[in-house]
Amino acid sequence: MAQIFPKWTNKLPPVVAAGLLLALLAVVGFFWYFGSPMYTDVGYQPVQPVPYSHKLHAGDMGMDCRYCHTAVERSTVAMVPPTQTCMNCHTLVLPESELLKPVMKSWSEGTPIPWVKIHKVPDYAYFDHSAHLRVGVGCASCHGRIDQMEVVQQDQPLSMGWCLECHRNPDMSLRPIDQITNMSWTPPVNQLELAAKFKLERNINPPTNCSGCHR
Amino acid sequence: MSTEKALQQLSPTADPKKYWTSLGQIEQSPEFQKMVEREFPEGASEMTDPMSRRRFINLMGASMALAGLASCRRPVEKIIPYVIQPEQITPGIAQRYATTMPFGLSAFGLTVESHEGRPTKLEGNHLHPASMGRADAFIQASILDLYDPDRSQLVQKNGKKATWAAFVDFWSKLYVSYLNNGGQGLAILSESFASPTLYRLKQNFTQTFPKAVWATYEPVSDENIFAGISAATGQSLQPNYDYSKANVVLALDSDFLMMDSENLTAARGFATGRRVASETDSMNRLYVVEPAFTITGGMADHRLRLQSGQVGTFLATLAKALQRQNVKVDNRWLPAQNEPSSIDTAWIKELARDLVANQSQSLIVAGRRQPAEVHALVFALNQSLGNIGKTVVYRALKDAAAPSTESLVELSKALKSGEVETLFILGGNPAYSAPADLAFDKLLTTAKQTIHFGKNADETGCLTTWQLPQSHYLESWGDTRSADGTASVIQPLIEPLFDSRNTVEMLSLITTGALPKAYDVVRETWNSLIPGNFEAGWRRVLHDGVLADSATPVKQPAIDKKLATFLQAHPFPATSATAASMEIIFTASASTFDGRFANIGWLQELPDPNTKLTWDNAALLSHTTAQKLGVKNEDLVAVELKGRMISLPVWIMPGQADWTVVVALGYGRTKAGRIGNYIGQNTYTLRTSESLHFTRGAKITPTNGIYALACTQDFHGLDVEKLASEGIDRRLPTLIREATLAEYRNHPEFAGQESEFPNNSMWPDWKYDTGYQWGMSIDLNVCTGCNACTIACQSENNIPIVGKRQVAKGREMHWLRLDRYYSGNLDAPQMVFEPVGCQQCEMAPCEQVCPVAATTHDAEGLNVMTYNRCVGTRYCSNNCPYKVRRFNFFNYTKDTPEIARMAMNPDVTVRFRGVMEKCTYCLQRINRGKQVAKKENREVRDGEIVVACQQTCPTDAIVFGNINDPDSQVSKMKKQNRDYGLLAELNTRPRTSYLAKLRNPNPELELSNHRG
Repeated sequence: MAQIFPKWTNKLPPVVAAGLLLALLAVVGFFWYFGSPMYTDVGYQPVQPVPYSHKLHAGDMGMDCRYCHTAVERSTVAMVPPTQTCMNCHTLVLPESELLKPVMKSWSEGTPIPWVKIHKVPDYAYFDHSAHLRVGVGCASCHGRIDQMEVVQQDQPLSMGWCLECHRNPDMSLRPIDQITNMSWTPPVNQLELAAKFKLERNINPPTNCSGCHR
Repeated sequence: MSTEKALQQLSPTADPKKYWTSLGQIEQSPEFQKMVEREFPEGASEMTDPMSRRRFINLMGASMALAGLASCRRPVEKIIPYVIQPEQITPGIAQRYATTMPFGLSAFGLTVESHEGRPTKLEGNHLHPASMGRADAFIQASILDLYDPDRSQLVQKNGKKATWAAFVDFWSKLYVSYLNNGGQGLAILSESFASPTLYRLKQNFTQTFPKAVWATYEPVSDENIFAGISAATGQSLQPNYDYSKANVVLALDSDFLMMDSENLTAARGFATGRRVASETDSMNRLYVVEPAFTITGGMADHRLRLQSGQVGTFLATLAKALQRQNVKVDNRWLPAQNEPSSIDTAWIKELARDLVANQSQSLIVAGRRQPAEVHALVFALNQSLGNIGKTVVYRALKDAAAPSTESLVELSKALKSGEVETLFILGGNPAYSAPADLAFDKLLTTAKQTIHFGKNADETGCLTTWQLPQSHYLESWGDTRSADGTASVIQPLIEPLFDSRNTVEMLSLITTGALPKAYDVVRETWNSLIPGNFEAGWRRVLHDGVLADSATPVKQPAIDKKLATFLQAHPFPATSATAASMEIIFTASASTFDGRFANIGWLQELPDPNTKLTWDNAALLSHTTAQKLGVKNEDLVAVELKGRMISLPVWIMPGQADWTVVVALGYGRTKAGRIGNYIGQNTYTLRTSESLHFTRGAKITPTNGIYALACTQDFHGLDVEKLASEGIDRRLPTLIREATLAEYRNHPEFAGQESEFPNNSMWPDWKYDTGYQWGMSIDLNVCTGCNACTIACQSENNIPIVGKRQVAKGREMHWLRLDRYYSGNLDAPQMVFEPVGCQQCEMAPCEQVCPVAATTHDAEGLNVMTYNRCVGTRYCSNNCPYKVRRFNFFNYTKDTPEIARMAMNPDVTVRFRGVMEKCTYCLQRINRGKQVAKKENREVRDGEIVVACQQTCPTDAIVFGNINDPDSQVSKMKKQNRDYGLLAELNTRPRTSYLAKLRNPNPELELSNHRG
């Protein structure tokens, strides 16, 4: 009697097993990559109600971040500026511009401009801008080269793992306090030495406990 | 085991003291057994309501399908900046403003935390003499009153929408006619107040309308105290007690530590005399005579249970005893008849001896329930003992509309005879709270037009022609005078949320016919109050909240000759109430006060300190009385008084006088709002104008009904071993450590751990050489059990309320609870309170069982809870020996109205269903403190970080700080010899430790074995 299964079927179980394993790995890998904030959040670039260009203001004209984001050194939030701040200049500069229509409307009607939030930390994580600036973490470390962005997009994943990387080893992110808003600052050759000095001077011991951010 | 048998075991002299929490425990009822064995009470973990399991799975299936699609898109969130940013506001940084909470004749200075213009948390103002930086539960909870969604939101005329303009128009026409006839037919019924501006407006009103009637009514007030002092001195004065200077205090039917007026100063002063740092210190002695347990009775060194009606007789007997010990007591003050034998004469003799030995350092104080004659005699005795000017001073009532029930009775007569054409009701809710014999709700129809100016369209507001919304004090400009006359300002924290006006504006409108700005009116008054440069002074007042040095001068009242005649005309009853004619006592509720706080969920769910009942009032009976009546807990009985009757569930209270029934006012409201409607029974329906506080003639008839009460006293009972009864008997004396002062002096280390426990932990020790180590110490000797900390914690940490049904299942969410224990026998027990929150164990049992590391240890020693990690296995709470973990069985905040969410603290996560939560030592405050210090490149100073319970505690019983710093206050407290840890034998090494309680009984009385 002929055999029901041809001989090559002997190889089938290991092949199927390997295939299933690969498929599983692929699924895990898929979610690992495409489900992570690195993929889902980085590059988030919503359309804003005002076509405001950070590249023009902060980059080409070299305005300091803190001209508009005034609370950043004192408060937990950097603060999106009130319409008034725009009007400091734009009462004189290009008041008739088509692009500034929404700002003018806000100013004349007294209604706020509904900016779309880009850099979002979950509600249960309490981030403090002022604490980071005090120890010399620059804006660019988390927000990227804002001065080169025509429309702002998210540069870093802002995930917990990403936060912890720096909290565990902040050396490369610490800079002289007067350089915090300098977008083009790069670590000097002796950065590790400087970082050690900064940590001592500024009493830096970033929390890695849950209670550092969650309450 | 029967109660009888159990009682025999509770011999008063048994040593060590046997502690118990409830009748159920004494009887070892099966329900109690179950309660202690379980992590949460039975049914707490079953999902029964409000939806069935099947329905839940249906919904879950549907929402999973939707979630799969919806979660692909990132939700768009908006940032809404200011158009023009106010100069003072920085988003993310909270601001503090000073204001004042008026509360009847009292005023409590506050500082209010405001986030981007939204007030969220109230704290006492250190500069204000009546709050001294502290706040009680009512004050803490009054923030929710502001955000009450059931407040009156618009002007109503005959139940239809109207406008302020329409009302001003209506009134200006009437105004002219009243101007012409001098106010004939015009009447005002107001709440009591002490306010320079309102008083000025009141004077203007009386001048403008000389023929108009002004009545002032408060359902619960110090009226009797004023009347008594007035009878004794012939002057209108109010007392300012200084308990810190009194070595011996006798409290007669007085709950000065909590429910009486000026409770914050009283508690603070009392704690000053009570606090002991070492065995060489002395402490004051408190005698309490009262019908039913109050927290003041719980603090007592000697407590005598006595019917309210007998207190006067007791006082007269005491006066005689004092007279025998050569204290000047006029014979004409005393009743002629002999002392009744029902009062313990040995007790009185020793008390008198103690008072005489501490002349000018003692204090007799009677509660607001007691009639004027008691207060008059109290004044006379304090005078004879040399206490006046020392432990109590008297000041004239200034700028005050003092409450007068008589004025309400007069007004009612006028209404009945049709003399009143227009009636303004300025605040208050007389249709609900006026004495039943006046039938005030019916009288409202006799006037041609009635105008109710109040925060809610309540029982009164829905009967009047007009209902005008009144602003909350946090929305108002105004001013007050505190009990010592210090003037303080009420400044608004927020624009009125609804179309409301404040009392200053309303009274100005009545007097002048036009609506002014309250700010201008108040400033006009203060022009004459502030000495020197007005603008500078005004700015100072707005900053400080109070006008410095504005207390009124102290008077030196002498005894009036008419006192003897007055006391002769008002003899004290010689007999006591009996089964045939029981004594009924009306008390203000610790939750709703007189009903005004009925719609505040925090307070409704706050367990009454004595009964531990939530969401209800009950007929409180003594154990013996209940037995003779044949009723037990939760049996419905008919309480009958002079032909009026209500039905109430029974609750048996240890230590209550026999043949008394105590009922709380402020329940059974029908128009309070979504929370307060139909909660408990309205006991005002039994209260008549002749007997506002207590009276005889009550009758209790058992009915067949049963009514379930939600009581928290057995929940979260601390047990260690699996089996309840024996374990508890052995364990309870280790939870509460208590000694008399004499015992403490002989054995200063009495509270210390019996033995050292070896550290045989499986886990390596944490290293704590550097940085901060947070810890807490709670001094049980000064903790009064007043509940303020529980509400402060609830307000600070966004703790939800869960409702009566959930509380009955043991699902209440309070992070900080007050355990109440009794010791001694049922008739004369002693009561002890112990605040228990998370102990922040070093070897935390919870951390070791969490499968997802949601609860972990942090570098500063806290057990931190990461809510977003928690998957709700509840292993941690199962493993917690202190039962301090709370589980969100439902999404309790889901139905919180938008407006009530404004009270939430933005610095604390709002927890979702299925998440475990607990005390974290106010982590948000610790982090804020650390960040402030870090920005200034320094260490956190001792006392810089103050946690919410500590900040509000009127007696400073709670101290928090860095235990790594040997000089911090908390370290010093932990070094005291009374320090002990809860269940330390489990080697959990709690960071919260307790200082053992002391009592200071009179050695003579103790020898003769008169306990309690």
